[in-house]
Amino acid sequence: MSEAALVGLFVATVQFGTLVFLAALGELFAERAGVLNLGVEGMMAMGAVSGFMVGLETGSPWAAFFAAAAVGALVGGLHALVSVVLGADQVVSGLALTIGGLGLAAYVGRNVVGERPETLFTDMGITGLAHIPWFGEIFFDQPPVVYLTVLLGVAGWFVLTRTRLGLALRAAGESAPTTDAVGHSVMALRSGAVMVGGAFAGAAGSFLSLYMAPGWVEGMVAGRGWIAVALVIFGAWRPGRLALGALLFGFTLALQPRLQSFDIEILGVEVNSISPALLGILPFVLTVVVLVIISWRYRHRPSPAPAALGLPYRREER
Amino acid sequence: MMRPVLVRRDRVVPATQAVAFVVGIAAALALGLVLLWTSGHNPAEVYERMFDSAFVGTDSLSRTLERATPLALTGLSVAVAGSMGLWNIGAEGQMMAGAIVATGVAMMADDLSGPLLIALMMVSGIAGGMVLMLGPALARSHLRVSEIITTLMLVYVAIRVVEWLETGPWKDPESFGFAVIEPVPEQAALPGLFGRANIGMLIALGLLLVFWLAVSRTAWGYELRLAGSSPDTARYAGVSLRRKVLTALLLSGGIAGLAGAVQLTGSATRLESGLSNGYGFAGIIVAALALMRPSGVAVAAVVFGAVQVGGQSIQTLGVSSAISDILQAMILFGALVAAVFFNYRVRWTGPKGQASSDDDQAEAGDETMAMEGA
Repeated sequence: MSEAALVGLFVATVQFGTLVFLAALGELFAERAGVLNLGVEGMMAMGAVSGFMVGLETGSPWAAFFAAAAVGALVGGLHALVSVVLGADQVVSGLALTIGGLGLAAYVGRNVVGERPETLFTDMGITGLAHIPWFGEIFFDQPPVVYLTVLLGVAGWFVLTRTRLGLALRAAGESAPTTDAVGHSVMALRSGAVMVGGAFAGAAGSFLSLYMAPGWVEGMVAGRGWIAVALVIFGAWRPGRLALGALLFGFTLALQPRLQSFDIEILGVEVNSISPALLGILPFVLTVVVLVIISWRYRHRPSPAPAALGLPYRREER
Repeated sequence: MMRPVLVRRDRVVPATQAVAFVVGIAAALALGLVLLWTSGHNPAEVYERMFDSAFVGTDSLSRTLERATPLALTGLSVAVAGSMGLWNIGAEGQMMAGAIVATGVAMMADDLSGPLLIALMMVSGIAGGMVLMLGPALARSHLRVSEIITTLMLVYVAIRVVEWLETGPWKDPESFGFAVIEPVPEQAALPGLFGRANIGMLIALGLLLVFWLAVSRTAWGYELRLAGSSPDTARYAGVSLRRKVLTALLLSGGIAGLAGAVQLTGSATRLESGLSNGYGFAGIIVAALALMRPSGVAVAAVVFGAVQVGGQSIQTLGVSSAISDILQAMILFGALVAAVFFNYRVRWTGPKGQASSDDDQAEAGDETMAMEGA
């Protein structure tokens, strides 16, 4: 394996890690507030298609990025309305959001399939640092979304663990009646968290369509939204561990298309003789294995999940 | 300031879910209308074409029933797990697993007579679905790993295995270079009923009936529902939760696998990566709309079969078939919202002093507490 290929692998690891981390961070907010949103895949698809179309129209990747975030927030708002305000089943509503979001994205984007935008996000070589061998290319010559995501991660951790708002949000996810009793609006906290989560998922989708795989095709999110949902469990609902997990999953996602070109042997099998379709199952098998390992570690301890996750709260029923 | 709260109704509206379903359909059609209108289509023309192609004439009806068959089976698959509060959202993958094993068996036993081969393929389909479900089922029953994510992840695995079989090991040598698997033996085609509808429909119907009997008329079914609705009570009554979770999930996987085998021998000619065609995912909506009840699954499957046939038919009018996916999800959203309002009513509550009710007193309490906290 050449040095360039190895650096390329880690560059892609950071980018795939960013993609799943951004979406998973949004889901983490929603789940810490007590709302399971299985619509991440659909929200990402809506973000990918709307971001791409705005990018085509305006030529500005940032306009596209924020438009995608707005669309994501709007789509997430539907889940908030149905499952938080009206208190319907969160699993059902989230699944409907994924199926409907994928369908709507396919419909909205039917005329832009195969088009290429003129302006995309470009790598920003950070002066002085980008030229450091290896590290420079991997950490300091990435598109701006990567750095924005790192900032959002730090800000998210700070808000969640060091502010009153974060405390209220976590309280809503642990015990809604208590949160209500101290005067916070559970409905507002939960709806807000779900919409912010939607914005993050939408933004992640546009990172996919405006940088990682420029363009729009149906099914381009390809399960990454679901990996983000799994990542929240892997991260035990904590932003720090979420980042670690994102790098692990990012590595797998980056590794899988590259394995073909690697001239290495694992357990006596030449890796480049394995079919790409078969290598494609790697991230999904890893997700299952990782979830099993995590649960094994917690088998004698209480689950780290927010206590009220998935439970609707209606005021008069307390 | 007056604000609305949802209050549980004392008397529940009869046949709630059926009405909610109809409301959902109406809401979906209304949204579709806006969508079609804004993208320059004539909604009346599109809806008329959809309705005609799905319901008018025996050929149309047979197409609807042809699609309703896998939907009923995947819907039942989701409902079996759902009747004890579990979510199998990987029926799409288990369908594929069933079709893979059934194809493998057909390749080895292609000299068997028709009925024998079909029976063998059905059994191997069930086994295939169960095998793919085994991991998630054990992880759920013994380690409480969320079956939602594990079952879904294996969908991608199953589809990629089919892609691999297509391009490699099972590639048809007589396919002139195309990456396709050889067709299933002719004698393994399910006998037709009328038009495009086949025996598979009766298999689905029979299974729905068996499941309805098992769940509502046997102790086994009672324990299953009890384990889902109140696990502590069930445990106290001596029900093994682990075993119930395992059986429910494995059955669910097996039924989805059977859907794959039925699809393979009924409508498809060969195993291909598009065989499951979203039926597994649509099955989730079908089961959710049916509130996991077999009778509801049957009705919802026919409606969704019609929506899908309609969605295909309007492509000739230049309308994307993605419309049918949007309609299906919107039906569920509409029904979900409608069901809330059938069980709850909106009451406007004001500040204390107005209309004395429990809610208002509770609110007054909140205000005091908020003031103390400030």
